[in-house]
Amino acid sequence: MQAQTEQEREVAELIVATLNLEDTDASELAPEEPLFGEGLGLDSIDALELALAISQKYSVQLKADDKNIQEAFATLRSLSKYIEENAA
Amino acid sequence: MPDSDFFPLTDRGPDETLAFGAEGPVRVAPFVEHARRLARRFPDHRYVINLLTDRYQYLLGFCAATLAGQCTLMPPNRLPRTLERLKREYPDCHVLGEDAQPFDCPPRPAGTALYGMPEIAADQLCAIAFTSGTTGNPKANAKYWRTLRAGSKGNAHLLLDRSVLQLNLLATVPPQHMWGMEMSILLPLFAGTAVSHRTPFFPQDIADALEALPVPRALISSPVHLEALIKSGIPLAEVSGIFTATAPLSADLASSLEERFDTTVTDVFGCSETGVLAARRTSRDANWRLSDGFRMITGPDGTLVHGSHLPEDVMIPDIIEMVAGNAFRLLGRHQDMINIAGKRGSLAELNQRLNAMPGVNDGVIFMPGNSNRLAAMVVAPALSLADIRHYLGSRVEAVFLPRPIYLVAGLPRQETGKLARKAVLELFERLSQVNKPAGISASGSGA
Repeated sequence: MQAQTEQEREVAELIVATLNLEDTDASELAPEEPLFGEGLGLDSIDALELALAISQKYSVQLKADDKNIQEAFATLRSLSKYIEENAA
Repeated sequence: MPDSDFFPLTDRGPDETLAFGAEGPVRVAPFVEHARRLARRFPDHRYVINLLTDRYQYLLGFCAATLAGQCTLMPPNRLPRTLERLKREYPDCHVLGEDAQPFDCPPRPAGTALYGMPEIAADQLCAIAFTSGTTGNPKANAKYWRTLRAGSKGNAHLLLDRSVLQLNLLATVPPQHMWGMEMSILLPLFAGTAVSHRTPFFPQDIADALEALPVPRALISSPVHLEALIKSGIPLAEVSGIFTATAPLSADLASSLEERFDTTVTDVFGCSETGVLAARRTSRDANWRLSDGFRMITGPDGTLVHGSHLPEDVMIPDIIEMVAGNAFRLLGRHQDMINIAGKRGSLAELNQRLNAMPGVNDGVIFMPGNSNRLAAMVVAPALSLADIRHYLGSRVEAVFLPRPIYLVAGLPRQETGKLARKAVLELFERLSQVNKPAGISASGSGA
């Protein structure tokens, strides 16, 4: 597994805390593994909860109309990068 | 009803607005001509799977299919295996909008003349809605033109304020789901409403799409989207009404929404088999108003629903008590039935799946008291959490995947082998306390 950056670790912890993934260790979330479907198995309800947590912590409002949003939610790495680029 | 009955494709006048497409408002006359031209181009098949995500295009695709005598299949989700199965079961079908293909559609006609309103046979099979099973073996529910039309007119009567001549609708739920189909596709065809082509998802999307619509506006949604909207704190443009279905709406959420957005929130009760059955304003009313045209026969394990426009009577797992006239109270649900994010499933079936997994000695999937997500406790000494997640992940719908899953030494079964809900919840509560701080994990996340 590739190492998490500091920012990725922070987002991983936010994901684990927000979605009550009690049985998952944030430090073990692989940055390049899919968050939805096969990987962590998250669904659209999780996407909404995660979006809320991200807006509260980073003041980034996620918009599905944004063409990059699908890519942003693909992995921990892409989500973390999206937040970094769009943070106020 | 004699077989020779026909009803028009839409009851709206030729100059009324039917939808707001990506390029602006669309009136009935050019819409119908457009659908007619598209219908002539459709390949010759009995069925069509309409995956179009632009709601205006979906409406156009649905009407063209109906004009071509083709039945629209409504997949319960967009998963590749769901679509594969549909294509196997209905081989004489074509697909609209697969893999985000551009919609192969003739340009909208420039003229506005309507060369006669097309009529559809009352007994034409126009759609099949699938009741989502826990394990993804959906049951087919036939929707004839008379069923869709009478249901939609009943919905207009039950839900819409007749003093509003045109209400502009925005829906967060997909048109492929029966709730989305009834409120955002059929309502514009049969009552004074026009629908936005957009399907907003995140709170900011909802706010933007709502503002883009002219007043008066209504929002068609689900408790999941509405809760995210309230928590986001994002302000909304003026909205006359919010309609919600697919999961129970709490009175708290209903009141918060009404207060924050100065609107009325109507909770709608129904299912894919019957369509919308009843409604109530949850902030004020305990009782549900049954839609005209339905009759309910109460029973101890469920309720038999009769509707003169339905092909057959439907048994629903909800236990009700008629109170006065057409009002009823919802007493509960058959314990086994669960409803998550608009999908209905059986706990018994899920538990069977879990306990059928090689290596699982014992296990229980259940709904914790204060959650909208299932949890599980499993006795499987040789398995990891990742094994269990992987096994279930390929066999049950994502919304039914339990989380968290705890590996335990044993379940608190009584001597008779019975597993009391109270004991399950107590053990779960203890495990949750232990596991709360920063995710102490026995095994990895599959990393």
